[in-house]
Order: sequence, then C-alpha cells, then structure tokens
Amino acid sequence: METQAEIDFQSAVSAFSAARNEPDWLQKLRLTMLAKYPELALPKFDKIQYQRWPLTDAHEPAVQASDATALAALDLDYADAKNVLVTFGETVVTTRLDPELAAQGVIFTDIFTAVRDYPELVEKYFMTTAIKPDANRLTAFHAAFLNGGAFLYVPKNVVVKEPIQGYYIQDSTRKQDFIQHVLVVADTNSQVTYAENYATVGTEANLANVVVEVIAADDAHVHFSAVDQFSPATTGYLSRQGNLANDAQLDWAVGMMNDGNVVVDFNTDLVGKGAHAEVKVVAVTTGKQLQGIDTRVTNYGQHTIGHILQHGVILETSSLIFNGVGHIVKGARGSDSQQESRVLMLSTHARGDANPILLIDENDVTAGHAASVGRVDQEQMYYLMSRGIDKKRAERLVIRGFLGNVLTEIPAKRVRDQLTATIERKLENGQKSE
Amino acid sequence: MSKLEVKNLHVAVVDEDKGQEKEILKGVNLTMNTGEIHAIMGPNGTGKSTLSQAIMGNPAYKVTEGDVLLNGKSILELPVDERARAGLFLAMQYPAEIAGVTNVEFMRAAINARRADDDQIPVLEFMKFLDKNLATLDMTDDMVERYLNEGFSGGEKKRNEILQLMMIQPKFAILDEIDSGLDIDALKVVSKGVNAMRGPEFGSLIITHYQRLLNYIVPDTVHVMMDGRIVESGGPELAEKLEAEGYAGVRDDLGIDVKLTDEI
Ligand SMILES: Nc1ncnc2c1ncn2[C@@H]1O[C@H](COP(=O)(O)OP(=O)(O)O)[C@@H](O)[C@H]1O
Ligand SMILES: [Mg+2]
Repeated sequence: METQAEIDFQSAVSAFSAARNEPDWLQKLRLTMLAKYPELALPKFDKIQYQRWPLTDAHEPAVQASDATALAALDLDYADAKNVLVTFGETVVTTRLDPELAAQGVIFTDIFTAVRDYPELVEKYFMTTAIKPDANRLTAFHAAFLNGGAFLYVPKNVVVKEPIQGYYIQDSTRKQDFIQHVLVVADTNSQVTYAENYATVGTEANLANVVVEVIAADDAHVHFSAVDQFSPATTGYLSRQGNLANDAQLDWAVGMMNDGNVVVDFNTDLVGKGAHAEVKVVAVTTGKQLQGIDTRVTNYGQHTIGHILQHGVILETSSLIFNGVGHIVKGARGSDSQQESRVLMLSTHARGDANPILLIDENDVTAGHAASVGRVDQEQMYYLMSRGIDKKRAERLVIRGFLGNVLTEIPAKRVRDQLTATIERKLENGQKSE
Repeated sequence: MSKLEVKNLHVAVVDEDKGQEKEILKGVNLTMNTGEIHAIMGPNGTGKSTLSQAIMGNPAYKVTEGDVLLNGKSILELPVDERARAGLFLAMQYPAEIAGVTNVEFMRAAINARRADDDQIPVLEFMKFLDKNLATLDMTDDMVERYLNEGFSGGEKKRNEILQLMMIQPKFAILDEIDSGLDIDALKVVSKGVNAMRGPEFGSLIITHYQRLLNYIVPDTVHVMMDGRIVESGGPELAEKLEAEGYAGVRDDLGIDVKLTDEI
C-alpha cells in the first residue's frame, strides 16, 4: 500500500469530484479544505483523549462500487418502509420516497444526486449554517474527502407523517474511508420524523467520519433518531449538529451502540427565539472500546429551552464518557438549560465519567444538572432473581429499564425494536467475559 | 409431594451502624410439606422477615449454623435464582421498584426462566393465564403494563406479589406480611388468590403480625416466633389465643425472658 505521503491527494480529490460530476463550489471547497485541514486544530472535548486515533489517515479517494449482497449479513428490515435510502460504501442500494411527498416538494436522496440535481439548495445549507467546514481539523477533513451521505429537504408548511429512514452502511470488506454527510433541512413550519442507522459490514480497520446537519427553520419541528453501530475495527468521529430558528423544535434520540472507538461531537444551537431542543442519548460500551460523547446545547435566543438526558452502561474494560454542556449566552433571557447524565458500571474494570458543565452568562434563566456514576442496584437484582430469572438476564432487564427513557422516545417502532435488539446483543456480548 | 425443612437455623446480619455481626435467628426448626399452610406469628423485630429472606437466599443474611433442605437436599449453596427455580417463592414485605421494566415482561421472563429456550411460553397462552389471574385478584390490565412496582401503592404492591405467585406457581410460597397496609376488601382479594393456589402440590408459610389474615386463609399449623426462635406451635386455635392474650401474654405463659419491641 502507498503511504499517505506518496499519494497526490490534490489530483485524487479533483478526479473524484470530477467523476461525481460535482459543481464547482463543491470541488473548490474540497480542495481548499484539503490544503487547510492539517493546519487546523482537533476539536477539544473535556476528558476525551482521542488525539492519537487514526482519524485523518485518508486512503486515496476513488469512486468504487460495493457488492450489496453483503448487506444480507445485517438483516436490515426496510422492505415495507415507504421512504427509505440505503447506501453501502459509496453505492446507493435503494432510494424510495412516497410520490405524494415528492409532489409536495420533499427531497430525499443520496448526497451526490442532491448536489447534481439541487445544487443551489445544497450549496445554501451545506456546512454553512449548522457547522462550518473549517471549524476544526476533522470537519475540514470531512469536506475534503466526503464520499457518501444524504440530503433531506422538507418545504415550507409540509407535514411528513411517515418516518423517513436512512441506512448508511460502511463497507469494511476492504480498506475504504467512510466519510458521510447527511443534511436535513426542515423549512418554515414543516414537520418531519427522520431515523438513521449506521453499521459496518466487514472486518477491515477503517475510519468513519460522519457529519450530520439538521437545520430547522422558523416553527419547524424535527424528530431525529439514530442508531450508530460501527464495528470494533472502525474508529469514528461522529458529529451531529443542529441549528434552530425561531420557535423551532428538534428532538434528538440517539443510540451509541458502536463496538469500536468513537468520539462523538453532538451540538445544538438554539439560535431563534423560543427554540427548543430535547437531546436524548443512550450508550452501551463493551470490550476495550472508548466511547467519548460530548453533548452540547447552546441557548443563544431568548426563551429557548435545551434539555439533555444521557444514560449509558459500561461493561468489561471499556470506557464511556458523557460530557453534558449547557451554555446560556448573555442576552438569552428567559432560557432554560437542564441536563442529566447517568452511567451504570457493570464491571470493576470499566471506566465511566458523567461530566456536567454549565456555562451561564445570563441572569434571568433557569438551569440545572444531575450526574451520577453507579452500579446496578442489588435490591433490584435480588428481587428479579428471586423470581427465578438468572443473574445476567436480570442485569439486562435492569439495564434496559435504565435505558428505557430514551428508548420510549423513538417514534418509529421499527427503529425502537431494532435499538432494543442491538442493546440486548451488545449486553450479551459484554456479559460473556464476566 | 415436596418437603421444606429448616433445621437449627442460625442467621446473622451485619449491623451497618456498628459494623459488626448481629445474630437474629437463634436456632429455628420447621418442617412443612406441600398441601399444608403454616403461619408464623410474632412481634415486630423478632426475625420473621429474616427467616423468609434466609430461606430464599438473600445474600445480606448470613447462615452461621444449621441448614435449609428442599426434598432432603440442602439449598444453602444455591443462589436465589436457583432456589426460585427449584420451587421457592417469597412475597416480600418491601418489593423493589424497577423503572423501565414492565410488569408483564417481567412475569414472562420469570415464567420463561423455568422453561427451555426452545419451549418458551406462547404469547397467547401467557395472556390467557394472566387475564384469568388478574380477574381473580380484581386487577386491571393497565397494572401489568406499568413499570414493575414503580409508583404502586402499598396495596397494589401486595396484590402484584400475589399475581406473580399465581403466574409462577411455585411449590412453596412464603408470604411476608402480605396483609400489612391492606383494607378488608383488599385482604379478601389477596386471600382469594392464595386460596386458589391451595392444593396437594402447593405449600405456604404465611408470616403475619395479626390474626385477622388467618380468618381468610385458614392455616393447618400456627407457629409463634419470639427472639429468633419458634417458641410454640399448634393448630389455628393458637392464633386466636395470641389475639386474645397478646404476645406478652403468651410470652409470660411460656416464661420466656424477652423484651418485645412494641412494649413501652
Ligand atoms: N438487612 C438487615 N440489616 C441489619 N439489621 C437487620 C436487617 N434485617 C433485619 N435486621 C434486624 O433484625 C431484627 C429482626 O428483623 P426482622 O427479621 O425484619 O423482624 P420481623 O420481620 O419479625 O419484624 C431486627 O432487629 C432488625 O433490625
Ligand atoms: Mg418483617
């Protein structure tokens, strides 16, 4: 294999962009960021040590097809989903959108089709509002090497009733970077429920760099859920960025079920007056992995509400860090910032941290936080076991109960059931070594 | 027929405040067979709950001497879940609350824990059985969809313990103060549930402070416990004597030197 220094990334990125028929603005953005990213600093997150991870060891970009038959290994259940996009590596496997929605102007397609078919719309929102490409080294790297993703656009006043679902599967049957961008734009007074799943097929060690932007215009309401389950060999930077205008609402429910090392940059900006975000995160950490999750909500607008709820479970020798950052800027009068982070440790070798950070620069606000790191309640265990349930199953029941307040938030039953099954699988794996 | 034997059982707990072991049971002997209902009565603080927890296998209670046998085999080395699967059940005085786990999924897990992986109870069969038991206990469907004991009133918790008993169908059920905090109607309902279980394959040890419950669940044998020992055993008439004379009267009749915690 060629080393990074031997690859002419400049030409390779240009060629990749040309092969994808990308508009000039995107090609230019790629090349600017390619030149810039090595100089930019890595994003800093309290207590999360990931600086030595191979998150910028790019392979030479090339348009390459993946064999969708390999997806059978994942047992994805989208046969009867009305609105669904499935990608595997750089290959689009399925795109489906209810024709009625399409007639109303709803767009849901893979990111490369979107930049070709709706260049102005994508250009307007792509890394302009929720996150800037030069925000840090990893976002710039992302812009330079982007090789997959999706665009969802809901026009003004359109209410999408059926959930929109994306399955973005990393192809690790070979060495290939997975650099995904999902751009969700909910225009004024629209409503949409979007659910996404990430997973890996194959065992190669690869990097994943995912940037999701959710832009909610005035009075828009977005319900967003995600289940991330990258493989043990995947090292990931997973960034989700929300930007809310006046009276917009964004409900996040995210399950961090990865098996490898990930650093999670989860940020929501309450820009408009009266904007409201509910951020719910569950995480299960097993093996030797580290999941470092930095969840931040910033109240910029007046009378904005930001609530963070994170529950996580740690098994074996793994580590889980929950940062909860609530920031109310000066002038954001009448705002509310609340957070709760709780970590349950199942093993004495596990490391857990629930780290509340409140930054309040305005007086006329309400704010609160709760954090804990604890063990499974022995009285609860005794009670369950006294009914004949064995220790491991009893533990899983208690844990599922502990994670339940996020699970119940997920509107699509399919996603909820899948997350429940994923948690069960991860717990069973994690319990094997005990 | 199954047999449960408690032989010269001594149990100690670690006193959290003083950090030292304290002996609670000082040699309890008790033999019961399925088909029989035994009652244990005794003043507060005498060790009734300790006995039930020690039989069930609560790790907070340490057996320092003696044995507990099920069908002639010691169960002291078995963890609580194995004792449960071997046929023991304890309706607890203070059941735990578990948020996020529904009552119904918990009961299904309990039943399935007794069955092979390839022979789990079919959903329909389970629901029919559940509905039947709910009807016996005057309980509504929404109780089973709620989280396990979370936010249940004292009375609801007791009913829920009996519901589990009826679903699980153990060989021996220890009911620890199942009557406390129940009004007369609830007491009748709970008794109806226990009486429905009566039969040659079921035995029960009913722990109570008051004789009242025993009007509804008539025991075959009554034991009086004081200061960590069973001090007298007899028929149902013993319960009436206790009711008439009080624990102090029985103590004085027997010439036992203990102070009752309820005495001023
Ligand atoms: N887990 C425990 N830790 C410390 N002391 C206990 C514990 N359980 C019971 N005891 C003590 O043991 C004695 C007997 O209690 P218990 O068995 O609950 O009596 P009863 O059920 O007859 O009222 C009491 O003095 C009580 O304080
Ligand atoms: Mg008691």
